[in-house]
Amino acid sequence: MFGKVREAMADAAETLRRAYSGLAVVDVAPERFRARGHGSPLLAIHPLAGLESLGASALTSRLLGEQTVAVRGMEVPRAVLHAESGWARWDAGAEVVRMAPLAARLAQSLALPTLPERLPVHGGVEALGRPVTHRLTHTLPGTSPRRLAEPLPRPAIRTLAPSLRAPATRTADPVLRAPGVRRSLEAVLTFAVPILAEDIQRLPKGLWMRYSLQLVRGTGENVRNLEVLGLFRIPRKGVAELHHDARQGRILVRFEAAAVCAPRVPFILARRKDDGAMVSCFVEGA
Amino acid sequence: MAESIKLAYFMAVKEGTSYLGGLLVTDTSGIPLDFRYTEPITPTHLQGILYGKSLEPHLKEEVIQKTLLKELKAPPDLFILSATELAGGWSGDTKCPVLAVQKTQDTPLAKAGAVFRVGAREVLLQVADGAAPLRVLFATSVDAPTQEQTILKLLEAGYHMDLAEPLERVAAALQSLVMKGS
Repeated sequence: MFGKVREAMADAAETLRRAYSGLAVVDVAPERFRARGHGSPLLAIHPLAGLESLGASALTSRLLGEQTVAVRGMEVPRAVLHAESGWARWDAGAEVVRMAPLAARLAQSLALPTLPERLPVHGGVEALGRPVTHRLTHTLPGTSPRRLAEPLPRPAIRTLAPSLRAPATRTADPVLRAPGVRRSLEAVLTFAVPILAEDIQRLPKGLWMRYSLQLVRGTGENVRNLEVLGLFRIPRKGVAELHHDARQGRILVRFEAAAVCAPRVPFILARRKDDGAMVSCFVEGA
Repeated sequence: MAESIKLAYFMAVKEGTSYLGGLLVTDTSGIPLDFRYTEPITPTHLQGILYGKSLEPHLKEEVIQKTLLKELKAPPDLFILSATELAGGWSGDTKCPVLAVQKTQDTPLAKAGAVFRVGAREVLLQVADGAAPLRVLFATSVDAPTQEQTILKLLEAGYHMDLAEPLERVAAALQSLVMKGS
C-alpha cells in the first residue's frame, strides 16, 4: 500500500521537475532600459582605482553646453544727490496757525525805553581809604567827566571769635532747707505717762508723818485700814486718767493740757484693806 | 529743784522718702512740757545723689534737730536720743549734753545712784534699787566734767520717771502724725 503511494509521489515529483526544467532564458538588450538624455550626456561616475588623496576637482557641468557666462564687474557705489521736493512743498503750502488768545497781544505795540543821554556816574573807586583823585581822560558820548572823589563806603567787618563761649549754667540748690515746725502738745498728751513712786523710806520721818495725817483726813479712813501704794508727784490739775501698775510700782497717767503748767504736788495712792477699794489724795498744796 | 530740769527727747524717722522729726520736752516726772515736730522734708533726687550716704545724718542732725532746737524758747538741760542715732556719729553740737539712755538686762549695781564707768563715753547708772541699771552713752562733744554733771541730773530725774520711756512716746506721736497726714 505504502509502496504504491511512494511511487505515486515519486511520479508526481518527476512530473513537476520535468515541467519546470525546460524554461528558456531570453536575453533582452540593455539599451531599452537605459535613460537617454536629450542633447546632454548623462552624468557618469568613473571609478578610480587605487588609493588616492582626497581632492576636490571641479567638474564642468555640461548642462549649459558650450554657452559662456558673462562675468560682470562690481561697480563702485557712488553718492547720488537727490532733491527732496517735499520740503519745498511743505514750505510753500504750510499755513501758520495763530492762536486766537495770542493774536491780540501780538498786535500790541511794545514800547521800548529810550536810552539815557548821560550815563550815570557812580562814586569813585577808593582803595584802602585813599580817594581816587585822577580824572577820567576820556569821555563817553552823552557823559561828562566827573571827579571820582566820593569814597566807597567801608565794608562791614564781621569778626569770628575763635574762642568758645562759656555755656549757660543752671544752678540746682543742693541745700536742704529747714522744714516748717509745728507745735502740738495734744499729740503726746494722748499717751499715758508712767510716773514712778517715790521711796517712802527715803523721806524724812516727820514729813512722812505729816503726809499720813493728811491722807487720813483727806480720805476719812482709819490709817490702819489703809495700805499705801505709793507717793507720786503729779500735776495738781489736768489728770484725765490714772491707772496703777502694781507690778512695777508705778501709775500710768493720761494728762490734759492744763497739767502742763500745773504745779506738781505729792499724791498718795492707797487701798482700803477691808474691800480693796482705791483711795487717794493730794497731801500738800491741795 | 528737780522741776527745773528739762529733758529733751529727739527722734527723727523716715517715712517713705520723707523725713520728719519730733522733739518732746518733759519735766523730771516725764510729763510733757512741749512737743514740736517738723513737717516732712523730702530731699530731691539730685540732693540724694549729691549727699550720698551723708544725706540721712545731715538731715537728722543739721536740718531737723537744729530746726527743732531753734524753736525752743530755752535750751533743755539734757538732749536725749536713741542709742542707734548716737552711734551713727552724732556730733552733738548742741548747747546741752547729748546722750542716749538704754535699758539693760545687767545685774543691778550695789545701790541706787551707783555709777559704773564702762568706757570714756559709756556708764552704767543704777537709778532705782533692785532694777537693772541703765546704759548711758555720751556724744563725743561731752567732756568728762559735763558727764559727771549729767549723771547727777539723770539720777535726780530717774527717781521719778523712766528715763528711756519718753522716746517711745515721741515715736508713737510721730507715727500718729504720719497716719493722720496720709
